[in-house]
Amino acid sequence: MESKVLEIINGIRSAKNLGPVAELRPETRLREDLALTSFDLAELTVKIEDEFDIDIFEDGLVSTIGEIYAKLA
Amino acid sequence: MVFLYDNEAYSYDDLLHAISGSGKYFPLYRTKELFPFFANMIKALAAGMPLTLIDADINASEIDGVEESDINAEQAFEPKTYQSMDEVVAALQQSQSEITIFTSGTTGQPKKVVHSISTLTRNVRLGEKYTGQIWAYAYNPTHMAGLQVFFQAFENQNTLVNVFGKQRDEVYRQIAEKQITHISATPTFYRLLLPFEKSYDSVVRITLGGEKSDQHLYDAIGQIFPKAKINNVYASTEAGSLFAAKGDCFQIPEDIRDKFKVVDDELLIHKSLLGSSESFKFMDDFYHSGDLIEWVDKEAGLFRFKSRKNELINVGGYKVNPGEVENAIMAIEGVRQALVYGKANSILGNVLCADVQLEEGFVLTELDIKKHLASQLQDFKIPRRIKFVEEMTLTRTGKLKRS
Repeated sequence: MESKVLEIINGIRSAKNLGPVAELRPETRLREDLALTSFDLAELTVKIEDEFDIDIFEDGLVSTIGEIYAKLA
Repeated sequence: MVFLYDNEAYSYDDLLHAISGSGKYFPLYRTKELFPFFANMIKALAAGMPLTLIDADINASEIDGVEESDINAEQAFEPKTYQSMDEVVAALQQSQSEITIFTSGTTGQPKKVVHSISTLTRNVRLGEKYTGQIWAYAYNPTHMAGLQVFFQAFENQNTLVNVFGKQRDEVYRQIAEKQITHISATPTFYRLLLPFEKSYDSVVRITLGGEKSDQHLYDAIGQIFPKAKINNVYASTEAGSLFAAKGDCFQIPEDIRDKFKVVDDELLIHKSLLGSSESFKFMDDFYHSGDLIEWVDKEAGLFRFKSRKNELINVGGYKVNPGEVENAIMAIEGVRQALVYGKANSILGNVLCADVQLEEGFVLTELDIKKHLASQLQDFKIPRRIKFVEEMTLTRTGKLKRS
């Protein structure tokens, strides 16, 4: 599951001409550390939903990788 | 002078025999067989009897005001005898029949519209110049575009070759074998014919209608049919065919120019030009077409279509015209067809998504397409999820289905 999230995030980053990140830590922040905009976050939710059938933003804000993992656990 | 479909062929004499002296018809005929369908229709119209056209695959429960028991129930009428097809055509042109058709329901329940023969055949061209043509029949016969093509070919007693819903190879085989001269179809149909492999010189006229087309498609059609003039047609279930095409624009004929208004970019049509339907809502006798246009030359009545009103997708407060994005995707080499739509999303309201069908032998990734688009479109117009599909879902009238 964690490697899939990493793959999705690196896919979004590469479309923005940003290099891939090697690893994600629970405290990694989506906006500040990974430079994801709200459009990127929307793409992230759609792709996670495709993969895991869970809308991670459904009930409120998610701002770190750890919070995503918690939703998917 | 024949109707051809699958492996069957019927002449205009066969048609005359099927109609002349017959005193029975189906007011509501459901059939997949084209010749009996057209024979029944012409028989009814020439005799002035009312007719309702329904799809071959539809159930009464899917359409309002139709009972299953009425379908394919025969009705008697005073038989008429005709000596020639010219007499049948003349009777049809004078017909007082009420013809009920249904919208295809691209975006919902089919709506019922009642037409007269004059609104259905308003743009039929007759004369020496129009004889001897061989038409590829690429529309569903129960809807407006299919009726327009049918009457144009029929009133000039031209050949019709059915290619609706056929595979690419089969369409090309028919064009070559039957020496097709005229094709009228949706852009979706022509995209099925891509990519260019071989040219077909028998085709002299290509007409596109029903959906927005794009330059990439025109260029490809120009290669495949190098001898063909390409034009557009605007026909709606509500009004039939109204405008003449001029390049990628349309022109409102001068004599009906006062029958149109444009309010907030939307084209409004006066009720005198429409069929009748309970589902029409008029404001001061004008019908809201839902088509957004821009004037190219207002004085000359020249305009261009921009999009459908209810199609704009709200993405994080930005309005995206899916047609614009589809055009940009289809301009990429190797893309045959693209459908852009919004998917509900908790962050942006909608996320822009695209289904893409590639031409055989091409490999493109989601990233390739995004990079292409990034050089042409603003960021908010770039689909965030691109799915590669083998086939697109089409409506009964052969348009891309927007869900």
